Amino acid sequence: MSDEPKTISTNEQTSPAERKTAPIWIFALALILLFGGGVYFDQYSGWFNPQVYSPYENTDQLEAWQPKSGEAAVMAHGKQLYESVCGTCHNADGSGKPGQAPPLAGSEWVNAKSPNDVISIPLDGLSGEIHVKGETWNASMAAMGAGLSDSDLAAVISYVRTSWGNKGKPVMPDDVKAIRAKVAGKPPINGEQGLKALEK
Amino acid sequence: MKNGFSIFIAAVLLLGISWCAFVLAPVIQLGDEKQTVMINSTDIYPVQRTGAATLGLQVYRANGCAACHTEQIQQNGMACDLIVTSLGKNSSALQKVLAGSLSDSFLTTNDLPKTIRHGISMEIASSMSDKITAAGGKAEVHVYATGADIERGWGLRRSVAEDFLWDSPVQLGANRIGPDLADVGARLGDLNWQLQHLYAPQMFVKGSVMPPFRYLFVKQKKGAVPSADALQIPPGWPKDLQPPGGYEIVPTEDAKNLAAYLLSLRAEVPLHDAPYTPAVAAPTEKSK
Repeated sequence: MSDEPKTISTNEQTSPAERKTAPIWIFALALILLFGGGVYFDQYSGWFNPQVYSPYENTDQLEAWQPKSGEAAVMAHGKQLYESVCGTCHNADGSGKPGQAPPLAGSEWVNAKSPNDVISIPLDGLSGEIHVKGETWNASMAAMGAGLSDSDLAAVISYVRTSWGNKGKPVMPDDVKAIRAKVAGKPPINGEQGLKALEK
Repeated sequence: MKNGFSIFIAAVLLLGISWCAFVLAPVIQLGDEKQTVMINSTDIYPVQRTGAATLGLQVYRANGCAACHTEQIQQNGMACDLIVTSLGKNSSALQKVLAGSLSDSFLTTNDLPKTIRHGISMEIASSMSDKITAAGGKAEVHVYATGADIERGWGLRRSVAEDFLWDSPVQLGANRIGPDLADVGARLGDLNWQLQHLYAPQMFVKGSVMPPFRYLFVKQKKGAVPSADALQIPPGWPKDLQPPGGYEIVPTEDAKNLAAYLLSLRAEVPLHDAPYTPAVAAPTEKSK
């Protein structure tokens, strides 16, 4: 009986676990796991970006998978914008309103080879005389398109130029950008003369 | 209690760490989530629910709908379709490109638009589309989400944080005894269907385990004029579901609100963080 506690106490003193250093492979394993975890985190976390959800791994991949809008999507977008911004005066079918807004359907200005006029009017506004389909109009229009982005306005104008029997070519955002720089800070275009002056 | 102070410190630390990880971190990550703009559109998403639908969320919550229904669509991956929309003027040059590697069949103008590749990666789709464009044709690349939930028709893309912006509390759900409801308003958008289904689910899905929510409806005597909002019960339904002669079944405010909430669940618009190509209405040329 009296021997037992003694043996235990001697065992404790000489316990081999006490002085032994941790084996090196544990450190190696921990480092490998840490490295693996870091690689996994780098690949799949999206860096905790609230815009990145699985199965997308990072913002670059998310950008690459954004649908590129085809022509049909641009037209649908342009139609929607046209009906909310332009349609109140020019009518949803482009027929215009007597005494208020000239028609866009079949208008020689809309169907012109160069889209410059039909871009600059919504960007800068128009007042003064203009002849549309054999009629003289003397109404004024505010710069309704100045608040739209280049791509939005390009979509609207493309829609106008290709709808209701119009045979114009679609317009690119860069065309709008160029005209926007040209008319910046200028007073509203003064009728046909103003449009001609702008061409120069 | 000689270690009382250390135990106290340890408890504070442990609770503090889990609070940081499960409360603080998500708030930092998603706390300032705002309405966003849909892809290819200037429309804001999500719009706030109507009053009835906002009240309906509380009916949904009170009736424990979330015990059997989730509101979270999962997505495993994404893929592309390649669609030829125009052969262009020099169609023989394009046919050569198509016959070479892209399409198994010979395309004519009448076939268009035609999906010539399904389930390919964005990289491959873009390069094929570039080849077609170079040959004078036109092609579109459509992105879509893949996964079991999408194949079941429960939605068009995964659920993201924006979808739940107006939900208080969020009814995520964890069990799928019934189908997912994140997009049910778009899938089953008929108010009358929703009310009839709440009244008698088994008349629509044979063997459905959903309990009928008939206590959300009242049986009342028909007045001189039948109520405008009385439930339309098809004559083919069994007799015990039909109101007795001279009576009508009318949904309570709760039933109407719940149906309005279900119809407001439309988590399907394409967003920047969950993109896909939306189906577009036919081009303007065809509408002439």
